[in-house]
Formats: sequence, structure tokens, C-alpha cells
Amino acid sequence: MADTKKVIFKIHRGETVQGQFASRTEEFEVEYGRSTTVLQALESIKADQDGSLTFRRSCCASICGSCGMVINNRSRLACKTKVRELVDGVADKNLPASDVIEIAPQKNQPVLKDLAGDISNFYEKVDTINPYVQEGKEADKQVNKSSFEQVNMVSNCIMCGCCYSDCTEMAASPEFLGPAALAKAFRFVADPREGHKTERLKELSEKNGIWDCTRCGMCVDACPKDVAPMEAITKLRTRAMEAGVTDNPGAKHAIAFKNDIAKAGMLNEPMLLLKTLGVSGAIGQLGNALHLAKKGKIPSIFPHKVEGVQEVENIFKELDANPIEVETKQEDTGPGAG
Amino acid sequence: MSKNGLNYAYYPGCAAKQIQKEADWSARAISEKMGIKLHDMPKATCCGAGNLQEHDPAAGLAVCARIFSQAEEMGMDICTICNTCLQTFTFANERLKNEPELLEKINEVLAKAGVRPYMGTIDVKHLIWVMVDDLGVEEVKKHVQKPLNGLKVAPFYGCHALRPHEVFNGRGGQAPQYLDTIIGALGGESVDYNGKDKCCGFHTMLVQEDTFLKMSGGHSLEAKREGAEIMVSPCTLCDMALGAYQARSEKFLGQKIELPEMSISQLVGTAFGLDHKKLGFNRLHQNPENVFKSRGVA
Ligand code: SF4
Ligand code: SF4
Ligand code: FES
Repeated sequence: MADTKKVIFKIHRGETVQGQFASRTEEFEVEYGRSTTVLQALESIKADQDGSLTFRRSCCASICGSCGMVINNRSRLACKTKVRELVDGVADKNLPASDVIEIAPQKNQPVLKDLAGDISNFYEKVDTINPYVQEGKEADKQVNKSSFEQVNMVSNCIMCGCCYSDCTEMAASPEFLGPAALAKAFRFVADPREGHKTERLKELSEKNGIWDCTRCGMCVDACPKDVAPMEAITKLRTRAMEAGVTDNPGAKHAIAFKNDIAKAGMLNEPMLLLKTLGVSGAIGQLGNALHLAKKGKIPSIFPHKVEGVQEVENIFKELDANPIEVETKQEDTGPGAG
Repeated sequence: MSKNGLNYAYYPGCAAKQIQKEADWSARAISEKMGIKLHDMPKATCCGAGNLQEHDPAAGLAVCARIFSQAEEMGMDICTICNTCLQTFTFANERLKNEPELLEKINEVLAKAGVRPYMGTIDVKHLIWVMVDDLGVEEVKKHVQKPLNGLKVAPFYGCHALRPHEVFNGRGGQAPQYLDTIIGALGGESVDYNGKDKCCGFHTMLVQEDTFLKMSGGHSLEAKREGAEIMVSPCTLCDMALGAYQARSEKFLGQKIELPEMSISQLVGTAFGLDHKKLGFNRLHQNPENVFKSRGVA
């Protein structure tokens, strides 16, 4: 290889010894050229420096999804990430420059050995959403092209777990279904042939489902296949509300916005609380409110009305009378999508 | 670069107009110092915060387009101090600019409602982008009268100014370091910690309070462990989660945090030598005065 350079790989390793997980970090120097991938660098470490280094891989071409790992603080596919780009930094690819390359196993799941994690929870959660089309009375016989456009993006998932590993909600609440399972759920809710759309939306609106997502966007950035799970979750929320599945704080909160904006143009924060949580829930929030009040932070129950708010009411009325479809983005339908 | 000198259509967002007023006060005060002219938008409504967009996506786009149209009429880009407003606007603007058919459909609705159509010509920026990209950090430095003397500041970036990185055209994601740049320009030292680009949890506060308190309190504790004396954020909602709700996190975690948190504008204002009262220090949960005094920033 002409003009190769050298860089340090700092690898988080670990294994279970007598029932206890023992972790350590080890540094390896590797040579890299213009197109060396992180996976190739790991292979060379395994071949030339330490044969016991453990990681998963198969296709080497971003297809099998087995080489997901944390590379410089974010979950990425080792076979898709170039060492040179990590060193130099590429703003378009969301990569800051760095002199050391730090590799760790995926987060939010137990480690088996070195870079190989126990991915059974991730798979089980995908399984709980029944990842297949079910027969039932809501099934449509006609399938047109535009309905495929809806599921194009989410069908690209290769089950690499990168989104699951970077999900901030998962880190705080391990029972959360997670971005990949929810994106997959959208794939079936949006499939015209699916027979139990409403039932699915009901289940997905329960605890650990669509409303638990913080909308942090980590999964969108992490996904190597542009599945954009957060967008799918947003669309599931929209569809759930459309289907009348609104008896939960998440939906109530979202619905309250439209009213406030039409009435005053601004949020009415005390009322928002009441509408989201109901009277008893809002009383539960009283501690917070009193705490805020000490600092003079009491929002008015009658917020100042913005000028021309009638226009917004007109907009809502017009859209109620003549609804327009905006769900599918142009980029999802172009050549090469899916 | 900016569209109209340093003139911006100013969109503070609902939180800054009601609960987090100090963020608004200090943003105005520092902008005045730096010659950044923030023009009010009296007709601007709430952006929908992603919630309206989930409930009624078409209405969400139309409400944003109506606000963009006002800025366009003023001949200015929008400048905001709330990350969620920034992201909600950016999502909408990106689509309206790149999907001509969609823009046409939305403009038809606006026209019927008596609203000027949106031509797709404005940009939406955060005040910290304006300071670094449009004004320039050297200019910011010129106004520093009370340098922070190495004060250890934990930047908390907030999700909605970072991700999805594609929509922010190189201004989001992991590479840009707006807060770090500004903290450095003020003479402070930026603290690196894992949580700095993670989620404050605000948007799940009402759905699952425990998870929210665990997230927000966790970030504050981690920053403190890494040596932070103070935490700043560019987002009024993060300010609320990490600052105003800190006592709730303490109670939930059963552990004191005691890390003063403030808006980045308040920190800039302090280094500019502005009156602490004018910057709304009395509205902060954890009083930062002693921290500043200990570094000789009085
Ligand atoms: S946007 Fe939601 S699903 Fe995606 S990483 Fe964040 S919390 Fe998880
Ligand atoms: S959604 Fe993307 S990141 Fe998540 S498992 Fe599928 S391919 Fe991987
Ligand atoms: S090895 Fe198959 S995706 Fe990387």
C-alpha cells in the first residue's frame, strides 16, 4: 500500500472470568491506507498482533449487520467506516477528527467477549411486535405504488443494532422497545395488507412504546441504512392519533398544542399540564410548580395573544375542509429509494 | 453568512416568553452589546414543538410556513434561542425548500387563510451560530470585560441542535463545537463529559417523569464528577430540565447535585460584565454567584 500511515486503536476488551466480567483497554498500532476500513484494521490486529481479539463480521459490505460496534463514541458498522475519515474528520459524515481511534462493544446490552455483545434482547424486542403481516378485517386487497413508498425506508433495516446501542431512552429505561423494533412496527402498520393496524397502534401506544421515545435523534444519526427510526416513530404517533388511540399522556399532550396555537398562538403551559396529565396528575406536578414559583416562574393562565392569530384558525379550518397528504417525503420516492 | 447584515427576525420560543424569561432577557442584552439586531415578530405563534407536527403534520408545516413568511417579509433570517424551535423549523424549512410541490400545496392553504405565501428564501439559525458564523468569535472576544479565568464550564448541547445532523447543513452533529468555541472565547475551560451531546429528557417529562429525572440528573452529576463548576445550554428546554428541575432530580436520585446551570447567553453576559440582575440570575435554581467569585469573575 502506497503512503500508509499509522494510528493507535484503543480497544475496550473484556470477558467473563469465574462469573465476573473483567474489562480492560488495550492499545494497538495499525497501519492504514486511503481505503482501509475499521474492520480491516481489526482483522490485521487479530492476524498479526493478538489472535484472541473477538468481534463479529461476515459480509464486509454493510449487508449482514453483524459488525456494529462503538467507534469513537458512536455506534457504527466497522466495515463501512474508514480509518482515514476518522483520523481526518469529515463534517458531512458527522465525524470529528481524532488522533486515537477508540473501539468498544455496543451499548445497552451485555458484553459476551471483547466487541461481541449479547444481542438477544434486541432480537426479542423485534419479535414482540410480530414482524409479519397478519390477516384481519383491516387488510386491504389493493396495494399501490405509493403505499410501498411509505415502507421503503424502514425495509432497509439490516438489524445491526447501532440505533439500539445509541438510543438515549434505552440507556435510562431498558424495557423500552427501541428504535429498530418500532421502525419495524411502522413497516407493518403502514402495509395496506396488514389486518390489525388499529390493534397494533393500541399496543404500541402502551408503556415502553412509541410515546417513550425522547426524540433525541440518536437513532437517525446512527443508522447506516438511512432507516431514520425516529421518523417512523413520529409517523406511528400520527397514525395512532388518527386511529383514535388518544387515551394516554403522550397523545393528550400532542393534541393540546393545536388548540392552544389556534386560540392564543402560544402555549398555555398550566393548561397543557392539566390536559396531559388530568387533574390528579397535574396535582402530582404541584411540587414542581411550587418549586418553579419560588423563582417567579409562574406562567400566566392567560398568555398574551399573538397578533393575527385568526389566520391560524383559518389555516386549521381550511385543512379540515380540504386535507392534504404530507407524510411521504420526496426523497423517499425518488429513484434509488428503498 | 447572514442575509441582512446583523439583522434577524427574533424567535425566542414559548418557554423563553413564559418560564425561562431569563434566557430571553440575556439573549437580548448580549446581542445589543455585540451589535446583533434582534427584531420582534409580533405575529409569530408557537412553532408546534414537534407535537403539533405529530398530531397534524400538514398543520405543523403550515404554521411554520406562516412564521417563515413573516421573516421573509422582514427580509431577515430567523434567530432562535430554543433548540426544539430550531429543529422543528429546520425540519419544515428543509422540506418546503426542497419539495416544490409541497410548498405549493402549503402556500395554497396560506393564501386561503389570508397569509402571505412563503417563497422558501430564509434560513433558521441559533443565536450561537449567529455569534460564531455570522459575527465571528474574534468580535465576541472584543466585548469580554470579565474573562472567566479558567472557569470549568460543562457545555450541554441538546439533541435538537445536533440531530439528525444532515438537516443542519454541517452545523449539527459531532463535528461543530459552537459552545466550546464560545466558552473558550470567554476565557473559560470547557469540560468534556459523555452526556454533553445526549438527551436532557425534557420531551418525556410528562410521559415518564422517572426516566426524565434519571437522565437529566445523571448528566449533571457526571459533569460535576468531570470537574464542572457550572453548566450551560443553548436551549430553554434543556435549561428547564437541567436547571429549573434540578431539585426534583436531586430528590429522585437521593443525592445532592448543586451544579449551577444557566443559559449560554447568561454566561456570555457575565463575561461581558453585564448586571447579573438584568441577566436574571435571581431566577436560577442554583445561585452561581459564589462560583464566579471564586474565579474572580465578580
Ligand atoms: S429518537 Fe427515540 S428511539 Fe431514537 S434514539 Fe432517541 S429515544 Fe431512541
Ligand atoms: S434501524 Fe438502522 S441502525 Fe437500527 S438495526 Fe436497523 S439498520 Fe441497524
Ligand atoms: S460485516 Fe456485514 S455489515 Fe459489516
